[in-house]
Amino acid sequence: MSKHVLKELPQLVDAGIISDETAEKIKSYYEQQPSQSANRLFIVFGILGALLVGMGLVLIIAHNWDELPHVIKLSVGFVPLLIGQAVAAVSNFKEKSKVWKEASAAGLFFAIAISISIVSQVYNIVGDLSGFLFIWMCLSIPIVYVLRSSVASLLFIIGITWYGCEAGYFRSGNSGYEYWIFLALIIPFYYIEFIKPQIKNNFFYFHSWLLTLSLTICLGLAASTDEELLMIAYMSLFSAFVSLAQLKEFQTGRVLSNAWLVIGSLGVIVLLLMLSFDFYWDGIDSGYSLQSPEFIASLATTAVAGFLLYKLTQDEPISQVNSKSMAFIAFILLFFIGLAAPWAAQLLANVLILAIAVHTIYDGAQRNHLGILNYGLLIISALIACRFFDTDLSFVLRGLLFIGIGVGFFAANYYMIKKRRKVV
Amino acid sequence: MRLLIPIVFVLMCLAQWFVPGKMIFDSEVTRREGILYKFKTRPIDPTDPFRGKYVTLSFEEEVINVDSTAGWESGDVIFIEFATDDEGFAKPSALYREVPSSDSYLKTRVNYVSQYDEETKLFYDIPFSRLYLEESKASEAERLYWESLSDTTQVTYALVSVGKGNAVLQNVYINDRTIVDIVREINLTRE
Repeated sequence: MSKHVLKELPQLVDAGIISDETAEKIKSYYEQQPSQSANRLFIVFGILGALLVGMGLVLIIAHNWDELPHVIKLSVGFVPLLIGQAVAAVSNFKEKSKVWKEASAAGLFFAIAISISIVSQVYNIVGDLSGFLFIWMCLSIPIVYVLRSSVASLLFIIGITWYGCEAGYFRSGNSGYEYWIFLALIIPFYYIEFIKPQIKNNFFYFHSWLLTLSLTICLGLAASTDEELLMIAYMSLFSAFVSLAQLKEFQTGRVLSNAWLVIGSLGVIVLLLMLSFDFYWDGIDSGYSLQSPEFIASLATTAVAGFLLYKLTQDEPISQVNSKSMAFIAFILLFFIGLAAPWAAQLLANVLILAIAVHTIYDGAQRNHLGILNYGLLIISALIACRFFDTDLSFVLRGLLFIGIGVGFFAANYYMIKKRRKVV
Repeated sequence: MRLLIPIVFVLMCLAQWFVPGKMIFDSEVTRREGILYKFKTRPIDPTDPFRGKYVTLSFEEEVINVDSTAGWESGDVIFIEFATDDEGFAKPSALYREVPSSDSYLKTRVNYVSQYDEETKLFYDIPFSRLYLEESKASEAERLYWESLSDTTQVTYALVSVGKGNAVLQNVYINDRTIVDIVREINLTRE
């Protein structure tokens, strides 16, 4: 940006827009400024370097040098930990730059894995992968806070998600509840570093994406015997995501860069499309336990979604709130209707998707946003495509429906672009 | 706050040394003070993403007879004492729910309980079922195992030191020679 401005300066002076003196001031201003892009690149390559070296060392250790005596193997295995801690101490207490802190945190994060691995190898300690990840994450969480490292925090979120999957999904007899404790430990960092000071840098975006994906993957850990109740938990979770995305603290400049909005909105639509089939409604009954993990998960997520929706409606009229924030209320009503009349609930699920799609198209038209408008049209298309599988409509009618939606796409986009041209 | 961060930093570093250090200490105590048993075994060759290649051992003595299936749940913590049979191999001799008073017992978990022909058998997890090997040797070790299978005169067993709850796998042998030695010799012959 600064280079571009500097190139323009002679022309601006020639045209008499700025004086020679002003041009000199601008030039000296940019010369004194540290180059932002160079700084950013330095951070990126510093972190990448530390990550690659860390992972490379893990692989070299995994070779298992069984010709070496135990004492030497153990000593070599602890060297990365010693170096990692020393560099972390220097970068933290000597007030080194962000690159130092982030790179040393990433290095120390992997050094912990190396030290545990080498001890396991030397003594043939079995410990399944989930146990290994558990110890690793327990020892890594302090790095996040002590070094205030975003990279360590991101690695930690990936690690606990992996742990949740290993312990809860891939291993029988374990619910992986420790995942929730780990998550509770990392949320304050996200709040303190990004939400409270309103910092919207790349680390904020990465954290938002990883947190939403992690929660989406791991909420299923609550699955036990009453799996149908999980649908309530997931619907409330996605509604809560959409509500969060609308709070000032979580808003971003572009729709697609807001992980909470993208994952929440897609989640709500995918779930509703699943509910538009009969398989879910055929499986529900009224004999669910109030103590089941699924019920507790549903209660917790619904409470959060309800609170966030209440908070949103305090700041703006309900008509301005994204309709997907309220999807959980509609679904809970549908659930109770479904207990008595599954067919009615299935029908209403179809109506609900249609209503959300229409509202989305309307919202897109109001905000003059082509992306939102087409998203609404895509929802309708997906609904019609789903009905191809389980309805007995004639081919002619199905064909006409698709032609209709195609014309709708064309007409809506044409109308919008024309409207924009008029404004210009 | 200014003082808190250095304190937390030091505690963090200590914890990062303490955990692997405790693992080393426990294993060393078991190696030195535990009783050595030979467990008949069969190896196969998988990989761990962090700790590399290893030979998984499948033990013949991972089962003990119990009176009934009642009261045993998968995942229950149990304690097992071992004795030596006529051929010199380990066999489980006693099962406890509480810590026994002896100096050599294994702390593990119930895998599952099954009843067949009026016999109730409790299958338990064996926590020393991995022998980590250099990556080039692991698959060779597996090949050796399959060869030893077709030769009924060969006996494969793991030498395990069992202490107070812990067990450390010291090595795997085929006919009284370590699997690592045999692979090393094969590699030297090839060169």
